[in-house]
Amino acid sequence: MAHVECRNIRKSYGGHEVIRDFNLSVSDHEFVAFLGPSGCGKSTILRMVAGLEEISGGDLMIGGARMNDRDPGDRGIAMVFQNYALYPHMSVRGNITFALERAGVAKDEIARRLGAVVETLGLGAYLERKPTELSGGQQQRVAIARAMIKTPEVFLFDEPLSNLDARLRGHLRVEIAKLHRALKTTSIYVTHDQLEAMTLADRIVLMNQGRIEQMGTPEEIYTRPATLFAAGFIGTPNMNFLELEAAEGRLRDGVLDLAAPFALAPGKVTLGIRPGAVKLVAEGDPGAFPVLAERDEFHGETRLLALRSGSQSLLAAIPATVRIAEGERLWARVEEAAMHVFDTGSGMRLAA
Amino acid sequence: MKLSTLLLRLLLILAGLLVVLPLLWTLLNAFKTNADLLVSTPKLFFTPVWDNMDYVLNRRSVARALVNSLIICSSAVALGALLGVPAAYVIARYKNRVTREAQFFALSLRFLPPVAVAIPMMVIWLGLGLYDSRLSLIVTYMTITVSITIWLSIPAFERVPMAVEEAARVDRLGPYATFFLIALPIARLQILSAIAFSFILVWNEFLLAMMLTTSRAKTLPIIASEMSQLGMNVPWGILNAAVVLLSLPPLILLALIGAGMNSAFSRKSAQD
Repeated sequence: MAHVECRNIRKSYGGHEVIRDFNLSVSDHEFVAFLGPSGCGKSTILRMVAGLEEISGGDLMIGGARMNDRDPGDRGIAMVFQNYALYPHMSVRGNITFALERAGVAKDEIARRLGAVVETLGLGAYLERKPTELSGGQQQRVAIARAMIKTPEVFLFDEPLSNLDARLRGHLRVEIAKLHRALKTTSIYVTHDQLEAMTLADRIVLMNQGRIEQMGTPEEIYTRPATLFAAGFIGTPNMNFLELEAAEGRLRDGVLDLAAPFALAPGKVTLGIRPGAVKLVAEGDPGAFPVLAERDEFHGETRLLALRSGSQSLLAAIPATVRIAEGERLWARVEEAAMHVFDTGSGMRLAA
Repeated sequence: MKLSTLLLRLLLILAGLLVVLPLLWTLLNAFKTNADLLVSTPKLFFTPVWDNMDYVLNRRSVARALVNSLIICSSAVALGALLGVPAAYVIARYKNRVTREAQFFALSLRFLPPVAVAIPMMVIWLGLGLYDSRLSLIVTYMTITVSITIWLSIPAFERVPMAVEEAARVDRLGPYATFFLIALPIARLQILSAIAFSFILVWNEFLLAMMLTTSRAKTLPIIASEMSQLGMNVPWGILNAAVVLLSLPPLILLALIGAGMNSAFSRKSAQD
């Protein structure tokens, strides 16, 4: 188990720089998720940590040693790939034990470790099969077993669940969480699925266009998004954004007129409100503003209500038991604590 | 069944018959006496005789040519595979200007008309004093086997998922171990088909063999063609017997690896 540190890591293809000055420190036992849209560079960084992609500049340290020029096999890592990447010509057993056999580990030692891994992942019945005879979920279990048996210092996961259907993804996500709780191996997990990142990670590294947008625990990122991008990327349904003008302690756009949650310099701001924070209230409630119900979507537990106020539209998540007619005029209110204020120009969060 | 499917099936059967019937006819004629052969209504039922085969098999020239063909073709194919398969792997896995040029060069060898090669080759081998030797024909045939092996093996290696080779690197395999233990076993069926195909090409090769041999290194196709020049009366039975003998090795090869061959030529994106 080890500490992973990226110091000013750069990556360029030809003259095109895709990642510049990437700094990150993953402590021992920590589970870090790289989250971001496709093309944000999260997989590239993981592959640089693995040694599958050359590092153009900066230092990669694993367990205190510089790894930039070491082969993937000598970095003390094990990797789980998106499309499983099992050896199709070997049995499940062969796939799992291949690396140990190559490393010259004694036969009884291999058998002992195989037994433990196979039991943990429930692969006992499939040992003699070929990977192609297994379902996607089982194949990914074999891939995890292949990584686990090496007892690496660091686990690297490259979107391991994105080729599976929704139900299997949920199952395997729970299994990975359990495994991490039991093994406590330092892990880096790349995903574009915020649910996976939120539920698995001790810490999320939210990335956009080769840069770290925000870093923090899932709660921190959800409750205090640092930028407009972070606010928009995390949370389902998406956060509402209202373009407003700050002046004299109010946020206005001509129709809407809300009390600013804290003192703001005059200028354009973007107000972010999660759909769940929009409450329907009675007329005359302090801080209430009039809205028009435009559309009503039934989502099971909740209803998603599309509201309009002047030129701005916003979604409200309300209990499914509340019935609203489309076209109905209502009053809504948002707690000051649930207001996220961003500078429209820079996209940065504004705080008191 | 829809009408269009039915028509397509019929077309397929017709095309199949076009290929199979002449071969079948050759096979039948190889076992007929001249009396059975030279009749205006072809005979389907007759008493088969072994005479033609016997004649062909017992001729010294045929036996020698068979040995020549086997030695020359298998050597050229083995050497072609030895050089071509690793080359194909490098071209498939390391994409850059040099490998792209190499890939095109391998293909361009196949565009080259054999006649254009034959005359310079003849001069070269005469100059080296190796004209009409097995060695000269082996080396000449290698241009065919290497290029076709490279050309058909590249897609085979490209179909090996990149991630599998990366997993191998993480499992501490170097480039050579990755080639021998991972890429080659995964692509083996298609590689074997490519090699077999190169064997069939040189086994049937006629022009170069005719230009580069006179007596000692003659191959089977040359001997078979000589049988038609035996005299005024074309010995049809013997000719057919020679053709049957000539066709057997490629057919046996085909039967052995027919399945792999199919997948080598149709680039299905199946995960295997």
